Amino acid sequence: MSYQTKIEAVRESFRTALDSLTSDPQFIEDVRVAYLGRKGQIAKLFSLIGAIESAEKPVFGQKINALKNECQSLFDEKLNSLTAKLKEAEENKQDYTLPGYIYPKGSFHPLQQTMDEIKQIFTSIGFNVAYGREIDDDYHNFQALNIPKHHPARDMQDTFFVDKNTVLRTHTSNVQIHLMEEQDPPLRYIVPGRVYRNEAISFKSYCLFHQVEGLYVDKHVSFSELKGTLEYFIKRIFNENVKIRFRPSFFPFTEPSAEVDIWNEERNQWMEILGCGMVDPAVFENVGYDPEIWQGYAFGMGVERIAMLKYKINDIRQFYLGDIRFLEQF
Amino acid sequence: MKISINWLKQFVDIQETPEELAELLSMLGFEAEIDLDLSGIDHCVTAKVLSCEKHPNADKLKTCIVTDDIEKFNVVCGAPNVAEGQTVVLAKVGAVLPGGFTIKKAKIRGEESFGMLCSEKELGISEAADGILILDKNTQLGIEIKEILNDKLSSLELDITPNRPDALNHIGIAREIALKTGRKLRVPKVNKYSPKTVTDSVSVKIEEPIGCPRYIAGVVKNVTVKPSPKWMADALLSAGMRPINNLVDISNYILLEMGHPTHIFDYDRFPNNEVLIRNANEGEEFVTLDGEKHKLNAEHLLITNGKNPVALAGIMGGLDSAVTDSTHTVLIESAYFDPVTIRKGSKVLSLLTESSRRFERGADPNGAETAFYRIVELLKELAGGELCSEISDEYPGEKEIPTIRLRQSKLNSVAGYDNTSEFIESTLQSLEVKTQRISDGEWNCIPPSFRPDLDREIDLIEELVRVYGYDNVTTAKSLNSLFSYDVPDPQSHLNKVFQKLVGLGFHQCYNNSLQSDKIAGSLGIRTVSVINPLSEQMSVLRTSLIPGLLRTADHNIKNGSKNLRLFEYGQVHHRTEEGFEGLNESFVLCGLIHGLETAHSIHGDEERGESIYSLKGILSNLFDTKIVLTPIKSKGFSTAFSVENDKKICGTAGQLSADYVESLGLDLDDVFAFEINLDHFDLKEIVYKPVSVYPSIERDINLVLKEETQAGELVKLISKQGRGLIKNIVPADIFRHDSLGDGKKSIVFRITFQSDNRTLEDKEITPIIEEIISVASSKIGAKLRS
Repeated sequence: MSYQTKIEAVRESFRTALDSLTSDPQFIEDVRVAYLGRKGQIAKLFSLIGAIESAEKPVFGQKINALKNECQSLFDEKLNSLTAKLKEAEENKQDYTLPGYIYPKGSFHPLQQTMDEIKQIFTSIGFNVAYGREIDDDYHNFQALNIPKHHPARDMQDTFFVDKNTVLRTHTSNVQIHLMEEQDPPLRYIVPGRVYRNEAISFKSYCLFHQVEGLYVDKHVSFSELKGTLEYFIKRIFNENVKIRFRPSFFPFTEPSAEVDIWNEERNQWMEILGCGMVDPAVFENVGYDPEIWQGYAFGMGVERIAMLKYKINDIRQFYLGDIRFLEQF
Repeated sequence: MKISINWLKQFVDIQETPEELAELLSMLGFEAEIDLDLSGIDHCVTAKVLSCEKHPNADKLKTCIVTDDIEKFNVVCGAPNVAEGQTVVLAKVGAVLPGGFTIKKAKIRGEESFGMLCSEKELGISEAADGILILDKNTQLGIEIKEILNDKLSSLELDITPNRPDALNHIGIAREIALKTGRKLRVPKVNKYSPKTVTDSVSVKIEEPIGCPRYIAGVVKNVTVKPSPKWMADALLSAGMRPINNLVDISNYILLEMGHPTHIFDYDRFPNNEVLIRNANEGEEFVTLDGEKHKLNAEHLLITNGKNPVALAGIMGGLDSAVTDSTHTVLIESAYFDPVTIRKGSKVLSLLTESSRRFERGADPNGAETAFYRIVELLKELAGGELCSEISDEYPGEKEIPTIRLRQSKLNSVAGYDNTSEFIESTLQSLEVKTQRISDGEWNCIPPSFRPDLDREIDLIEELVRVYGYDNVTTAKSLNSLFSYDVPDPQSHLNKVFQKLVGLGFHQCYNNSLQSDKIAGSLGIRTVSVINPLSEQMSVLRTSLIPGLLRTADHNIKNGSKNLRLFEYGQVHHRTEEGFEGLNESFVLCGLIHGLETAHSIHGDEERGESIYSLKGILSNLFDTKIVLTPIKSKGFSTAFSVENDKKICGTAGQLSADYVESLGLDLDDVFAFEINLDHFDLKEIVYKPVSVYPSIERDINLVLKEETQAGELVKLISKQGRGLIKNIVPADIFRHDSLGDGKKSIVFRITFQSDNRTLEDKEITPIIEEIISVASSKIGAKLRS
């Protein structure tokens, strides 16, 4: 057999072996050793060089080298493709339809979210935020706000009494008085907080709710500005196209006073969302501000009412039940 | 207040539909809704009862044959007042009545019925349901009911604010419509009658001129008590009042027409021809005409006949002096009572009447006179009565109406837009405010006596803006902003804490602040109670947020959520001493956990319950190293730690004791909670510390310790040996095995060394480690595990 034939025979048998190669690592190693190993078929071909004529030696050597390189690269190629297949097979074994790890889900209360949004809108136009007492004296909750004892306006707010002169505040307006007693004008605040009303609990009323009160005192504050501020607020918290109506009303601590309604398309009716007005001069006199110099406006809104309209909640009691099926929706 | 649109038309032209009228009045400050509008009711027609017989199978039912002049219908009717010959309202099969009730063909106790004869209530006209509505006999048959009744009965329900007593009647509302539309107001002419012949007399004596500034009385004889004429009965009905008899109705009619409450007494009850107005004696008893006996106090104002009380002034007449069918001579009372006196009196008895409502808001002292003559007129017209005494008009409390200076400049400044002098003057005129221009842009104004709410410049400004129309007020497009150097929101730093809690899986809750004393006071804390609670369950303010969150947890467990992380931030109250100063109020943050911290999962996670360690982990996540937890004994907790910040104790954390949970009426195990007052927490100030640029070195020391030795002791001990180079010490692993010896455990402490100014080398660390081991050995008996 000529050396040429021998080379061809090795090539043939290597190719056959390569074709039958599987991903079994032992098999791969066996094939590698059998052909490309130190004592493999190709190495054996090199050992034949000594036995042939010297003139042909270089040619024979080159041919074996070429064979070696060819086999090595074929083997590498085969190995790569086998590894890729193996990886793919491995990947296919993963079940990515399984759920992810469980991280507990928390939630901000819808009242907190609504209150935060209200605060954010007003602080962005220069209001500060103040908080105050839930239990206050009759003077700060009523009298200083121009609601004397034995005035029919007291019927507008059913009150819880701690004693004859101490009440659970019926609105956050008590903080208005504290702020003006403590600070000189001008000032501009909103006051969020919990307020209480002695009302039977039903889907539309609860014995307490949350209010955000606003107060702005300066020399030229006007009703027109009040209207502008509140329209801005309402459009931001609902949407730009909401229909708004300012309707004359009565509050002892503001004059002129207004109630603000927004149009509810679904119910086809106006819904009251806040009360407001120009601070009554009597209130300024009670805190020692000169009503000839200072003018102001005040407003108050129910956070529950706004949240109910925003999220279409129809039972106020949901807010205080703490049912996770309710809370986790927010 | 129910206002009849038809009645209004007597005083002002109305072209608006009921909807438009409601909108117009709403925009004037009288929130209006349509109360009755029959225009949507079909197949309800006038019909005549041809025959009416007892139902063969039911005692209380009747079978009637009725006709609408075209067909005859068999109808079963249960009304006691149905009778042959009546003209009634037949709701035919297919009619839909207010409230959505549809009339169908029916078999009632074996008798077929093709429709229903309607009561006022079924038609939505009034609350009267004690019989069917009987119409005038001459009414044409077969006409849709809406065509004959709607115009007569359509009405609005108005919400009249307490400052507007003048609007609690039809003329008052008509005046507002006239004012806004520029139409003419037509007020009934008042004739000042005087007696033709004086056969009786009455003297009026006012002992309490503060409570009763004015009292007008007169005697009318020869009255015949009978039902009111139809026009009056219809008018009352359309405004929501039941007709009773002509005398009572006349007083009610005037009340609804012009708003002034009056009273008509049987004059036989005044044997001394005398009216004496005095305060009640403390404890004096009086029976009002509704048959209720009241115990009065010394502030109640009484009308007496000189001896015995005949009326609770301005609130309700007495049973004894009320007119009866046999009354022939009456005394007319038309008075003005003081608002505060009437309000106090009505409030303490919880007796609110149409009369007290008007007096406590402020009636019109001059209206008393108008009302008096209107009553005399109607008594003559409808009861044949003749004025037979001189009129007694005692007016000891006449007050001068204030003159108010109105400045155009102030009006424009408050309103924020310019008002013309023409608008100001014409509006004030329509409001019946007398004006006199004193200089350019300045007027002296005298408001009418029926507007007690107008006594300052701002009151007139309000009227001018109101009539101008809030809709027409220009909306400012910008604000005169003012710089503020305060932190806009002093609670904004809490957002970070809330965000972390939500990230850790907590749901934020808002619970009721009102609880029972049993719950709020269960730990011996003195509660703040409400003297007029809704119920005992809600009679005191909460002293802690834990009971509320426990109740929330219980609610959720009952509804299928087992693993709970809840938090609330809110105010709690307790009392330290009597009086206002003893009321303590503070904001606290409360968290509560229950159930599983890690649930079993397909990825091989082991189930692990919430524990003290979850609580510790949560707290250190929230507050980093700002807090120190120290074991303490605390009521309500089986295991408790005080939460300390900057050497001040600000709260408690731990496992709630089973006894405590049970005392709140709940059945829950393994509940962990923390409650912290964040007021003094320094969460706002953040000062950056430079991050070291030098590498850190980590070393583990595995120490064999006695079982009872606490890891925390070692951490403290190790940190003392650090020479300022230890950044962190974590107990990383714990191991128990017989090979360690009896009652021993080994803990691996992972120590991180780092310097801010150099790269540390082994030769620096090694001596520290050796020292730690030697100190641990000498002080605690710890040994290095080989």
